[in-house]
Amino acid sequence: MKSKVIKNILFYTGIALIVLFMVIPVYILFRISFAVPSEVLTSHPKFLITKFDFRHWEQVFKSGNLWPPLLKSLIVATFTMIFALIIAAPASYAISRFNKKIKYAVILTLFFTRMFPNVGIALPISVTFLKWHLLDTNTGLIMAHLIEQLPFIAWILVSTFETIPIDLEEAAAIDGAGRIKTLIKVVFPLAAPGLAVAAMFTWLNSWNEFTYALYLSLTTKTLPLQIYYYVLRGGFFQQAAYSTILTIPVLIITFALQRYIRSDYLGGAIKG
Amino acid sequence: MNKIKRYYLEILLILPLALYILGFTILPILKTILLSFQDKAGNFGFETYKYLFSKKDFNMSIINTIAVTVVGVSLQLILGLFIAMALKYNFKGKGLVRSLVLLPMGVPTLVSGVTLLYIFGTQGYLNEFLYRLGLITKPIAWTSGGIKNIFVIAVADSWKVLPIVVLLLLAGLESIPTDVYEASAIDGANKIQTFFNITLPLLKPSITMTVILRAVDSFRIFELPKILAGRVTPFLATFAYDEYAYNNINASAAASTVLLIIIIIFMFIYLRAVEGGGNK
Repeated sequence: MKSKVIKNILFYTGIALIVLFMVIPVYILFRISFAVPSEVLTSHPKFLITKFDFRHWEQVFKSGNLWPPLLKSLIVATFTMIFALIIAAPASYAISRFNKKIKYAVILTLFFTRMFPNVGIALPISVTFLKWHLLDTNTGLIMAHLIEQLPFIAWILVSTFETIPIDLEEAAAIDGAGRIKTLIKVVFPLAAPGLAVAAMFTWLNSWNEFTYALYLSLTTKTLPLQIYYYVLRGGFFQQAAYSTILTIPVLIITFALQRYIRSDYLGGAIKG
Repeated sequence: MNKIKRYYLEILLILPLALYILGFTILPILKTILLSFQDKAGNFGFETYKYLFSKKDFNMSIINTIAVTVVGVSLQLILGLFIAMALKYNFKGKGLVRSLVLLPMGVPTLVSGVTLLYIFGTQGYLNEFLYRLGLITKPIAWTSGGIKNIFVIAVADSWKVLPIVVLLLLAGLESIPTDVYEASAIDGANKIQTFFNITLPLLKPSITMTVILRAVDSFRIFELPKILAGRVTPFLATFAYDEYAYNNINASAAASTVLLIIIIIFMFIYLRAVEGGGNK
């Protein structure tokens, strides 16, 4: 009996340590964005919040450095999501209806394109986009984000369409509906929840994206680039405030969609 | 001809995606490989590689990239397996613990770099914590290069991806039927025997999946070193970017190609090892 109590104590201590390890960094981020400078800018920073200081936030909102990157990130993420859906959804449907062998080969190809180092793709892309005058434009960045997001969203959508029984399409065909009509009236409405979840993850991935943004931007900035700019400049509080802004939508969407995060989605690797 | 007619709709639906991947992923990669075998004047040869391998920074970046992957992925597997096993039990507050463990998933990679900067900075929270415990008297410079920096980046990476590792392993654990455990209990196996003789072998597909996904991402590590290491500790991806930023297109392409080759060799060796182990 006694050994069981000890085991329980050990178990809960382990759990508590893990939870602390996971939670503390997030706490520190929020803590610093509201911190009084004298409490954290010393060699002995304080752990607990004794006073909230909103000055850094006021500065961030008033400086005028927030809105352009925020707007750019919003536009790029939204259009990346829309185009990813338009290009990948029909293709994923077609892939899901292939016979097993071809399907497996296609899925494997999608998987392998995700293994290429993105610095190796970003290099020729940025050389080409320079010629096409697409550097620093939203169009260029959207096109670049699609490179990463298309295989990702296709991976998720193939498994979504697989769950829709083919009998329904056959029934629609017997009722005289053409194939495209069947697709629009029967298949896509049934797949809508899956499409929505995949779309939101795509939006998030684009919202967070850093590598392509760094390669393709000279003067304009997305929100992640703005954070990186402050890291380089040593803007101690700006880093925290901008990071918090970048994190909020990610946190909300991730937890809202928590129950949809299945391990086959993870195969497509949601990094966030 | 008949086949094309029969499948015209499928082909039409799949064409945009296929063309996009061909034009913006496959072709660029081939172009990068081609660029890496050219010198600045455009002559073909191994000049760029000779130049790179004579650079100390480049050789360091290869070692660092492999080191951070080995340390990081091992850490993630051990911690991930422990957490996944714990989450399989029913205990009070399990739902809350699960949500909190998934928390880093809701934090962008870049931001996780920033927060860990506050922790591992010289005036950061880890030093303060160790100081208050009385373990150190002078602050340690965690991010000033060398092994410490690789450790910091491996920890940062592990923090960020642990939720994914846990979910992958948990799915694997949950797919093991309970009667296998019952049978081993009847045969009198203790917990440790059960773990090594039953859980681990049955978990092998999930572990393989996790290791491949994680290792590939870890080889390509870019954002975290950019934030946490600056230029003191080069990695292959950040090295490739720096060369690009200095306008050494060919050197950047060669570094990317080396990274690609490392990823391919790793997959090959790992899959061979796993398959070989399975046949015995």
